[in-house]
Amino acid sequence: MQRKFTRSFDALGDIYQFAEDVFASGNVEDAVRFPIQLALEELYVNMVKYYPDNDNDILLDVSASDGKVTVTMTDFDVDPFDVSAPRNIDTDLPLDSRVPGGLGLHLVQQMVDNLEYKYHDRQSTVRFTKESG
Amino acid sequence: MFNIEFGENGEILCSGRLDAAQCATAEEFLDSVDGSSTLDFVNLEYISSAGLGILLKTQKRLVESGAGLKIINVNNHIHDVFRYSGFHSIFEIEAQ
Repeated sequence: MQRKFTRSFDALGDIYQFAEDVFASGNVEDAVRFPIQLALEELYVNMVKYYPDNDNDILLDVSASDGKVTVTMTDFDVDPFDVSAPRNIDTDLPLDSRVPGGLGLHLVQQMVDNLEYKYHDRQSTVRFTKESG
Repeated sequence: MFNIEFGENGEILCSGRLDAAQCATAEEFLDSVDGSSTLDFVNLEYISSAGLGILLKTQKRLVESGAGLKIINVNNHIHDVFRYSGFHSIFEIEAQ
């Protein structure tokens, strides 16, 4: 199922519901729903944060089959930014060395499968999957 | 939807989904907290990195004054998020 969403944090509620509608039709387990929703939020927030004045909506394609979910997110008229590149986050730092921020893409890379990034004609396309087990 | 409020015993009750659209609500509340506090996540379904940032900011401020946050009743999914973020070494965390 495909749908375009407004470039705003306020769209997150509609995005969760959109994903839940797909999950309901695809027999998706709770263990898959959480990481998919987290990845959708983190990647969407990045797209909004770095191009707040871009007038283009963001296209989401979410499908579910036999408990496996596949998501494709497309952002239009943007510069390249490879979200699949290693983040080099040190999660062992003590509290006084920690700085809020920077964990979003690290979490996505830890929690979903087959994270891919493509860039063509000023379009960024992110694709990932998640299945139980 | 996200909600944060004090419980009957002074604990801080969080419920719903703590995402990027809701973190301003959490930040405003936690900025007013002084001294050691317990966050009860029994009804918190979801947290993203935006919520983690608010928790980290609060913990840094409280620890500087000799206090800190304890987080209890953490569900399995949020527990995974904390584990991947290395939060177990900087917060006292109890699972559900």
